[in-house]
Amino acid sequence: MSRLHYIRPETLAEALDHLDRHGSRNRILAGGTDLVVDLRNGDARPEFILDVSRLHELKGIDVTPEGVSVGAGVTLSEIQSSDVLERHAPALRKCSFTFASRQVRNVATIGGNVAHCSPCGDTVPPLVIHEARAVLASRRGLREVLVEDIASGPYACSLPPDELILRFILKPAADVTFADFQKIGRRRELVIARINAAAMARQEPDGRLSFFRFSLGSCTPTPHRMPEVESCLDGRVPTAELVWEAGRLLAERTIAITGRRPSTIYKEAAIHGLLVRMLHPLVTS
Amino acid sequence: MDASSVRIRFTLNGQPRSAEFPADTTALKLIRDVLKLKGTKEGCGIGECGACTVIVDGKAVNSCLMLAAQLDGRTVQTIEGLGSPEALHPLQEAFVKEHAVQCGFCTPGLLMSTKALLDINPAPTRAEISKAIAGNLCRCTGYRHIFASIEDAAHTRKEQT
Ligand SMILES: Cc1cc2nc3c(=O)[nH]c(=O)nc-3n(C[C@@H](O)[C@@H](O)[C@H](O)COP(=O)(O)OP(=O)(O)OC[C@H]3O[C@@H](n4cnc5c(N)ncnc54)[C@H](O)[C@@H]3O)c2cc1C
Ligand code: FES
Ligand code: FES
Repeated sequence: MSRLHYIRPETLAEALDHLDRHGSRNRILAGGTDLVVDLRNGDARPEFILDVSRLHELKGIDVTPEGVSVGAGVTLSEIQSSDVLERHAPALRKCSFTFASRQVRNVATIGGNVAHCSPCGDTVPPLVIHEARAVLASRRGLREVLVEDIASGPYACSLPPDELILRFILKPAADVTFADFQKIGRRRELVIARINAAAMARQEPDGRLSFFRFSLGSCTPTPHRMPEVESCLDGRVPTAELVWEAGRLLAERTIAITGRRPSTIYKEAAIHGLLVRMLHPLVTS
Repeated sequence: MDASSVRIRFTLNGQPRSAEFPADTTALKLIRDVLKLKGTKEGCGIGECGACTVIVDGKAVNSCLMLAAQLDGRTVQTIEGLGSPEALHPLQEAFVKEHAVQCGFCTPGLLMSTKALLDINPAPTRAEISKAIAGNLCRCTGYRHIFASIEDAAHTRKEQT
C-alpha cells in the first residue's frame, strides 16, 4: 500500500502542478470537516492530501463587475459576518446561522460544501438562486460551470480531479425586496437538513412579483431550481391561494423526481408547508 | 494507513513547539497521544459533541476534524493553558461555584468554546451563549448550571474592569 503525503503549496501554480500530476490519487483539503471524517472511516484513501486552505486566491468576498465573488476558501463564519453578503446575497448569509456548530463554521468552507456534493449542502440552494457559477482552475486554464451542474448525483462530483474551485460568482440580487433560507431537520441545532430551500423575490408596490427565484435541496438527488414553481409565481400577485397552489406544485414536482417512498407521506406535507411558510411575508390579500 | 511524516512548528499554550507525526494524524491525536495533553477529550470523533474543542488563532474548533499538519504556524490553546490547579481561570472558578461539572467529560471543550466567545464578546446575551456552545453536548447537567456559570464569569469580569 502506498504512503499518504501531506502537501501544502505556497502558490496557486504549485497547487495546479500537483493536481496535474497527481489529481487522481489526491484529495483537496480546505477545512477538513468532511474529508477528515472520510479519512477516518476509510471512505477516502488518497495518496496525497493537498491543503489549499492558505492560498489567498481562494479567499475574500468582493463585489466585482461580473457579480459578487465569494472565494471557495471562505468559511461559514466569514459568510455569517459579511455585510457584503447581507446586502447582495442575504439568503446565503442566512444559511450560515443554522449551519452545523460554531466550531465547524469556523473552519468549514463554501467550496468544500459545494464540492462534497451532499444533497443536503446548505450553501447550495442559496448559490443556485443567484445562478452562481464556479470558477475552476487547472493547468489547462480557467473555466466556469453553474453550481447547479457540479453534483452529478448524491456525493458524486462531476469535476475532474485536476481542477480546483477558486471562487463562486453570484448574480447580484438587484432590487430584491425579499430573500430567505429555510431548513427543516430533526432538531434545532447541529442538524443536517432533511429539507432546505432558498428563495428571493422582487415585489412591486402593487403586490406583483416582478422577479422570483426558488431552489430546493435535500429532497432530490441534487439541489436545483424549480422552474415550474418559479413560473407559477413570477409576474403574479401572491395571494394565499396562489402560494398554496405553488406549494402543492412544488411537492408534486419533487415526488415526480424522487418517486414515492416511505418518507413521502411526511415530505409531501413538509415541502408544501415549507413553501407556504417561507412565502407568507409576500402574501397580499 | 502508512503515512509519511510531517514536521510542524506552532505555539501551544504560549510556548513555541515543534512536532513530527504521520500525515494522517488528527490535531486531537497530536494533542492527546503525541504531546500527552489529556485534558482535550475524544467523544464522538466526528464533530458532533465538542469534547475535543481547542482554540486555534482565537477561534474554537473541533480538533477531531482537523489534521495536525493544519496547525503549522498557528497559535493553539488547550484546556491546559487556561488555568492551573493552584490558580483556576475565572471561568473554571465559575463552573465550580455554580456546579456546572458532573462527570466532567464535556467540561474542557465547553470551557474552550466559552473562552473563545468571551474573548471577543465579554458580555454575551443568553442567546449568544447558546449559539456559541450549541456544538458542545453535555449528557449530565441539563445545561442550566452551565449557562449560570458563564453568565456569572462574564459578570465578574465586567465588575473587575
Ligand atoms: C458535525 C457536523 C455538522 C455539519 N452540519 C452541516 C450543516 O448543517 N449543513 C451543511 O451543509 N453541512 C454540514 N456539515 C458538512 C460541512 O461541514 C461540510 O460540507 C463543509 O462545508 C465542507 O467544507 P470543508 O472546507 O470542511 O471541506 P473539506 O472537508 O476540506 O473538503 C470537502 C470536499 O470538497 C473538496 N474540496 C474542498 N475545497 C475544494 C476546492 N476549492 N476545489 C475543489 N474541491 C474542493 C475536498 O476534496 C473534499 O472532497 C457538517 C459537518 C459536521 C462534521
Ligand atoms: S470528539 Fe470532536 S466533536 Fe466529538
Ligand atoms: S458533565 Fe458529564 S457530560 Fe457534561
